[in-house]
Amino acid sequence: MIKDNSKYNVIIIGSGFAGIVAADILAEHDLSILLIDENIHIGGQLLRKIPEELGEYSKYKPEKIKKIGFRFVDKVKNNKIEILNKTALIGVYENNEILIESARKKTLSLKYDILLFATGARERFLPFKGWTLPGVYSTGMLQVLMKSSGVLPAKKMLIAGSGLFLFAAGYEFLKNGGKLQGIMEQSGFLNKVKFLPQLSHQFAKFAEGGKFLARIYLSGVPVKYRRKVIEARGDKYLEEVVVGKVDNKGGLISGTEKTYKTNALAVGYGFVPNIEAPQLAGCKLEYAQEKGGWTVKVNDSLETSVENILAAGEITGVGGAFKSINEGKIAAYSILNKLEIESEKTTAPLLKKLTKERKHHLSFVKCFNSLYDIKKQSILEIPDETIICRCENITMKSIKETINMGCNDPNSLKMSVRCSMGQCQGRTCAPVIYDILHSLCDKSHEEIGLYSVRPPFKPVSIAALNRKAL
Amino acid sequence: MENLRIDSIARKEKIKLLVNGKEITAYKGETVLAALIAAGYKSLKQNPVSQDPRGALCGMGVCFECTVTIDGIPNVRSCMTEAQNMMEIEIND
Repeated sequence: MIKDNSKYNVIIIGSGFAGIVAADILAEHDLSILLIDENIHIGGQLLRKIPEELGEYSKYKPEKIKKIGFRFVDKVKNNKIEILNKTALIGVYENNEILIESARKKTLSLKYDILLFATGARERFLPFKGWTLPGVYSTGMLQVLMKSSGVLPAKKMLIAGSGLFLFAAGYEFLKNGGKLQGIMEQSGFLNKVKFLPQLSHQFAKFAEGGKFLARIYLSGVPVKYRRKVIEARGDKYLEEVVVGKVDNKGGLISGTEKTYKTNALAVGYGFVPNIEAPQLAGCKLEYAQEKGGWTVKVNDSLETSVENILAAGEITGVGGAFKSINEGKIAAYSILNKLEIESEKTTAPLLKKLTKERKHHLSFVKCFNSLYDIKKQSILEIPDETIICRCENITMKSIKETINMGCNDPNSLKMSVRCSMGQCQGRTCAPVIYDILHSLCDKSHEEIGLYSVRPPFKPVSIAALNRKAL
Repeated sequence: MENLRIDSIARKEKIKLLVNGKEITAYKGETVLAALIAAGYKSLKQNPVSQDPRGALCGMGVCFECTVTIDGIPNVRSCMTEAQNMMEIEIND
């Protein structure tokens, strides 16, 4: 068991592709390495599979990239890296110190020489009337439930939102015996076609996307473009979903509403980087819509603006597994240089090649995120009674009124109306609030800025905090 | 009740969970959330401000909409907790 005040050469936060690839390279050297992840199993959001203790899933055939990923997971588990799963990072402090809450609900203070953030991304939401009803899920939840626990959220469901992930989730649902009532994609079909030439050097991704689309078209599932969810209705849980047509600016065309009877709806609107921990550490951030919003600013060696802190994977720009593997490698070699384990001369040719590869990944990032462009009009059209902050039950009306009173930055808005003050700490609504401020105040995201972040990052019990004052 | 468990998985260890005192079937390795959904529970808690019914949204520990009381400890994310035999779960549906 790990003791309080332990010190490591390298602490890695997040065990997705970037984290485990970096850990694997670092483990070949005489270094003390700690890998921390909040989830039950390591591997991040993409590398999920039916756990051994649950059972055998012989039908499951992971695609090539996931096979590579699972090999990394196994290697990392079998070498001398210390792994803390079910462990949350709750604070980052000066003097190379972090605070974590372990699986046994104890807080521990740890020290590092180098800290690598590989905290990944979470889903982006676009609120609509009734989205708080039980039965409205994210497309990520649909995937997680099937992949990690072998359970479908319902036998029949509707999928809506934007981007290729809707098709990936729909494909899995069909494969597992679900009945898909339809896919409602907010952007037009041409947006996807425009994107294809950019994939010429990313053949694996192209083939994968094509497979999802083909399977869904062949199954006869209705796929509708330029459709958005207007309302989810039901008494105690979801009973019907109202969908309408949108124009090319994202505005609803009145009179086009159609109602679907269903008890389950999965929605997905792309991804936002998990930048809260690097933000607290003082790392400089930059806003780039084409990278998924606010990201951690890094140089070619993936160093952040804070000494001895690096960042890799989705937090430097949402781009999927290939980019995360590439950045995991770059981060590992940069760390070896910084710790003077490898001379810069030996790693230079390798890093040069990896940096060149990274440029290709970054060009993919740009097109990938353009698919998820949430149009200003769809933010402005959110009806007044729609709940924006689910935890504190704050409506669009209250937010608009408070902005009109002069609270035109996230922190004063939060103080006045309590949005983003609940249990999720704004993880769900903050990106929406930033978009609302951007759309209503006609200010750039840089001008609007971000919520300030304070420890603890995640709700933690008083008992766990008792041993250390924050 | 509909069977929401994927057929083609050969499951190993059947366990029991107590949901508001009522026994439900689960399998070792499932999350508490998955077991609750498979048992037909959609609504898991009431929003503390509006008292509206709420259920899981993200399934990966971000949104805190699936929090329940597990073995007496309140506000536990059911999506981040492995089901254990005879776990006592309190939900507010």
